[in-house]
Amino acid sequence: LARYVAKVAIYGTHGFPYSICIRRPPLCFNVELLNPVNLSLECIWTGNQNKQPNITGYWRKGGMEIQDSRVPVDPENQQYTLQRVFNIVSEEHLGNYTCVFENEAELDFILAVPQIGERREKPIVSYVGDFVVLTCKMEDNKPVPRTWNWFKNNGTNKEQLFEAQRYDITVNGRSAKLKVKDVSEADSGVYHCAAVYNISTSTSKMHLKVITIWEPLKPFLSILVEVVILVTAILIYERSHSKKKEAEGTNACFFSLF
Amino acid sequence: MANGKLKSQSQGDGAEGPDGGWGWVLVVAMFVSTSLVFGLMRSLGIFFVEFVQYFEESAQAISWISSIGLAAQQFFSPLGAALCNAYNARLVVMTGGFLSGLGLILASQATCLVHLYLSMGVLSGLGWGLVFTPMVATVMANFTRRRALAVGLGFSSIGLSSFAFNPLFLLLVETYTWRGALLILGGLSLNIMACGALIRPECLSKASTKVDSQSRSSQPDLLQRVSSYLEVSLLCERPYLTYALGVTLLNFGYFVPYFHLVAHSRQVGFSEYRAAFIMSAAGITDIFGRIASGWFSDLGRFRVVHLLTLWSFLAGVFIMLLPVSSLTRSYTVMIVISLLYGFCSGALTSMVFAVVPMIMGVERMMGGLGLLQLIESCAGLLGTPLSGWLRDMTGNYTASFVVAGSFVLLGSLTMTTLPHYFSCAEPPPPQRPVLVDNSETLNLELVQKDGCSPEFNHQTAEQRER
Repeated sequence: LARYVAKVAIYGTHGFPYSICIRRPPLCFNVELLNPVNLSLECIWTGNQNKQPNITGYWRKGGMEIQDSRVPVDPENQQYTLQRVFNIVSEEHLGNYTCVFENEAELDFILAVPQIGERREKPIVSYVGDFVVLTCKMEDNKPVPRTWNWFKNNGTNKEQLFEAQRYDITVNGRSAKLKVKDVSEADSGVYHCAAVYNISTSTSKMHLKVITIWEPLKPFLSILVEVVILVTAILIYERSHSKKKEAEGTNACFFSLF
Repeated sequence: MANGKLKSQSQGDGAEGPDGGWGWVLVVAMFVSTSLVFGLMRSLGIFFVEFVQYFEESAQAISWISSIGLAAQQFFSPLGAALCNAYNARLVVMTGGFLSGLGLILASQATCLVHLYLSMGVLSGLGWGLVFTPMVATVMANFTRRRALAVGLGFSSIGLSSFAFNPLFLLLVETYTWRGALLILGGLSLNIMACGALIRPECLSKASTKVDSQSRSSQPDLLQRVSSYLEVSLLCERPYLTYALGVTLLNFGYFVPYFHLVAHSRQVGFSEYRAAFIMSAAGITDIFGRIASGWFSDLGRFRVVHLLTLWSFLAGVFIMLLPVSSLTRSYTVMIVISLLYGFCSGALTSMVFAVVPMIMGVERMMGGLGLLQLIESCAGLLGTPLSGWLRDMTGNYTASFVVAGSFVLLGSLTMTTLPHYFSCAEPPPPQRPVLVDNSETLNLELVQKDGCSPEFNHQTAEQRER
């Protein structure tokens, strides 16, 4: 297993707050992992005005303190260092790791698989009998997944979809497409695409909504009715108007000077 | 009394032309129909992404759809004008509305790209061509002193509807996908038929006045009739050709900022939203420019041609200033220039149409406008690719903007070569060579026109009374 070092130095000013972790780089690191790895996380803190002689440091995972991780930290060259090696093998080892300088400072390392960036918030709409293509793409600056899987929500569990008569699955490295042919209303629901890495899987979900042609037909027909009513009204008005003009004996033909 | 009126009508409108009244209703009709033609065309970009995804075609193949639509609209304009001269404007506009709606409805059922080319491109384009020119010509025929204002008001809908249609189309596409959205748009386009219904058919149709009195006895042959409907004779007149050349040159440069301003602003370094806002700023003042210049020219202080030259000159200058102002990298400067450019380009649009009756007279306006649309379509088609090519050659948009601005300036200079340009008073509009010797002849021609019996009977009754 390879050995990586993630190192971050926290440079502080006097009076900074208890927890300086802001969920944005560079004060929290998102470490994206593909393969099982021995990861060394190191936090360096420059201290504050108080210059305490020793501080206790420990590590937390997911909010809970890791057993046997408490160590006293002595300052070296005005810096406090806390370092630990973690064996990241499978999904349960991923999560939120925090190095804590007790009562002084914290730093988060978020260990996760690469997340699929684009999320489609609005439902994808399709018509009965038509086809629809659902796509998932891993961004260019992220590593290529080993493979992709597609799932559909069936009640409370996810059911995997395989290449079948109505499903066409195309996998092209960074992107995956699911083409559902001859869509019916039963195909409505939540679909998941899963990018599979050696260490874990990253998923993204999307909502497919199937409607019949009747949906847009309703506003269309109402507009049609409105046009017919308008045109007939205009023509009827004009006919009655010109009859009136003829009866009055005025010439409405050449000039409309009213 | 009726005699005198008949004569002055056939000689082209003098100071006693129609103004207001039902004309304002037609302005509303023009407002609605122009927004459903050009506002719709400008907002078709929303469908672009959907088509690329669904049909899995290149961006270039998809953008041909709107190019074909625009080209068809301009190409079929003379046809629309000719049909109006042959029959009546109401029928033509209603047919055009029907065809444009039908094209979009058929497009909603498309299964391949060619279907879209034929339905959304050709069929809808044909419908739009049958709507635009007749509608504009009808409105202009119904006004004399307030002509430019009426036209300006009618055209202001283009800017307003592009604003309104973009979010509306987006909503339609999200709710119903592009198929449902096109279906609903087809229904909306059918409202043009209601606009067309508002046009009152004229009694003295072109069909009768066009016929030369010499060939009146025999049936004029088809070619002669067709050429007179299309006003082909205009192509032999110097003022018209000069004007058409000037408008063509204007069109070379006019569209360039609309296509390239956003890209240019982004290249200079502004964010997406700021760049889009620069474009919107131009769009807003465009609306005001159209209405304001129409109102101003109707005050009568200056001749319409002079105003046209002024606005097009200013527009050319501002187009050239756009890349220069971006050199200062100041957002405020770019916004100001963009606002000024928008105002001038809107102002010149109103004037371009208002000048037309001055050059060819009100009766030939319909055919003249149709031919003008056809001629200027070449410039519109060539202008943007030319500026794109310049951009590819030089690496930035400065050259394209400068060239576009110079084309606009050239166009405005060409206008100065129109006959009687430097006189202060408006010259009399050219007459159509119609022999009106006596009222009897005119009444005989009225007999050939059908569908106007109440007024005609009234006319002859008046004649008899004298």
